[in-house]
Amino acid sequence: MIDVGWLEGLLALTVQVGVLYLLASLGEIYAERSGVLNLGLEGIMIIGAVTSFVFTNALGHGYAVLAAATFGCGMGLLLALLTVTMKLNQIVVGLAMTIMGYGVSGLMGHPSTREHVMRALNPGIPQEVAMLQRAPPLGAITIPGLSELPLVGRAFFSHNILVYLALVLAFVMWFVLFRTSFGLSVRSVGENPSMADALGVNVFRLRYLTCVVSGLFGGLAGAYLFIGYQPFWLEMMTNGRGFIALSLVILASWNPLRAILGSLLFGGVEVIQYRLQLFGVGAQTPQFVLMLPYIVAIVTLSLLSIESVRKRIGVPEALGKPYSRE
Amino acid sequence: MRLEKGALHVNYWPRHISFVTFRFPALRIERRLEVPPHVSAAVTVLFLSLSFVISGSILQVMGVDAVAAISQVASVYTSPQLLVAVVLRGIPIGLAAVGLSIAFRAGFWNIGAEGQMYMGMFASTGVVLLHVYYGLIPGWALLPVMAMAAFVAGGLYCSLAGLLKAKLGVNEVLTTLMMNFIAILFVDYLVYGPWRDPRGFGFPLTVPFPAEAKFGGILGDAAWEGLALLGAVALLAYFLMTRTTVGLDLKLIGDNPQIAGIAGVRMVRTHLILSMITGGLAGLAGFFLLTGIVGRLRPRISPGYGYTAIVISFLAGLHPVLAVPAAVFMGGLIVGGDVLQSTLNLPFAAVQLFQSTILIMIVVGEFVKRYRVVIG
Repeated sequence: MIDVGWLEGLLALTVQVGVLYLLASLGEIYAERSGVLNLGLEGIMIIGAVTSFVFTNALGHGYAVLAAATFGCGMGLLLALLTVTMKLNQIVVGLAMTIMGYGVSGLMGHPSTREHVMRALNPGIPQEVAMLQRAPPLGAITIPGLSELPLVGRAFFSHNILVYLALVLAFVMWFVLFRTSFGLSVRSVGENPSMADALGVNVFRLRYLTCVVSGLFGGLAGAYLFIGYQPFWLEMMTNGRGFIALSLVILASWNPLRAILGSLLFGGVEVIQYRLQLFGVGAQTPQFVLMLPYIVAIVTLSLLSIESVRKRIGVPEALGKPYSRE
Repeated sequence: MRLEKGALHVNYWPRHISFVTFRFPALRIERRLEVPPHVSAAVTVLFLSLSFVISGSILQVMGVDAVAAISQVASVYTSPQLLVAVVLRGIPIGLAAVGLSIAFRAGFWNIGAEGQMYMGMFASTGVVLLHVYYGLIPGWALLPVMAMAAFVAGGLYCSLAGLLKAKLGVNEVLTTLMMNFIAILFVDYLVYGPWRDPRGFGFPLTVPFPAEAKFGGILGDAAWEGLALLGAVALLAYFLMTRTTVGLDLKLIGDNPQIAGIAGVRMVRTHLILSMITGGLAGLAGFFLLTGIVGRLRPRISPGYGYTAIVISFLAGLHPVLAVPAAVFMGGLIVGGDVLQSTLNLPFAAVQLFQSTILIMIVVGEFVKRYRVVIG
């Protein structure tokens, strides 16, 4: 007999971690559907995390989310400028943006520079607050009634606001992508940009928009990572999660609803790590347990690449290819 | 970096910004057919300096004295004492960059140099431990055996991604990235676990390497011996790419994989050779990090040198020989980062900021080189 409370806790934690991957992958799905690979997601996420850290302690949660979203949009705009307008190699640009994210976040989170930035935001901030390595997390909002449902109640209805936002957005993003004419243009631009152009879709404008959307969601994911999940600043705290989100996008075959399932899978893998350590598995050598998410990502990517599977999931035809009018 | 053919459709002067008294001359942007070498060099230097202006402004916004920071980094190149350190730090990243320039030329996006370096460190330490604990390998043979083991380990590790790409078409960018994290954790496990020095007071360190397993015995300093090694490797790579059929096959795959397949290039075999070379050289970089610089294995030796190597290979325009001066330049940046850490209390992230803006401005420079502005 499995203890229900234990299982409820496990599920709730899985959702809490999974939302991180969900937020990151939702925007990426739009970018890749329109033909732009945003490999800088990791960098955008860590910038979102550091800005939400600095802004939460200086001004509060609302500004933190706003700032992370703004910085994310800015990075998305940079991505679009370099890959859509200048048609530079998307892998190189994404890598550069990831390294830049590590650099900027490492600097901004470093105590000496952090204090300066926080004083610029809020001159009256006390010294001891500026020195804190942590910030208050977002409070959980328990939905009365629904949260008392057995098993799924705690898992889905006792979280902070960003979790609900992410789950709602997943449905909205799916609806827009597959049920509106705008979504159709996004998909057609990623499949056959010259045809879409001939039919009157502004390929460049649309790709700019999807790049900004992917930046926005990357920034939100970073903010969630910090104030929603792990409110303690560590340099490089994203730890490759942006790259895992990229493989999740492929696993979800560029579909926001399937991304929910995929993010629960990767969230579950991460939670199982902690639980295994609690049970003493890998207590001496936690490294092998920590490898799990990366191994799962490689294995799922390889399975998806088998010919018969690949035909069914349908990679956007123009993914990674810059478009120019001839 | 190749760009699509055709004119550029950028509206540099939006029509709605109009000035009553002053009219901008019409600017036309034309595509260059050939880039003269002096223009290419000038643009690279210009954009390299621009990258420092950008990263300097970001530093300034964060309250760091950017002029002081950049002049301290620049002073590293002019100080004779530090120059040896600059060359020394440039060698491992240069070795990896030579391998990456071959891989990128062949369109194989190996982002896993970092992990392959760790596998090289793992293999070369394994050889040393065989010598120290079991006396299996004679002292005089240590360095060559370690180098070979590191090369094979890095190469095999990369071959996994190469095979997956050639056989199944798995995206190598993501697999090599993921394998970085796995390799780092694997080395962590060894150093915290079975390979920890029993007399090391519990610190996560292996035994210090014996003198036979370290560079510096022949030319007096590891920097000059390493430079000789790097130069030889770069020339070999250049020879491979320009004078052998393997090099031709690799360039064909890089230009157009479909046509290469039709032309009879054996994809799996070529990808295996390519992975062995690019991963192997990254492994050799890990070998040099231990034998020339650190002298024992500890966790997290490389703070992202595998990514620095990517920046170098693009700075060198994917030319293996040019990777040598580019690596020395980046080595200076790493030493400069150490200086910044001790004088201005800046983290390694400052170096990453410089690197990322350099990489962006180099590729933007490649873009600019293809066009010229015509006024009239």
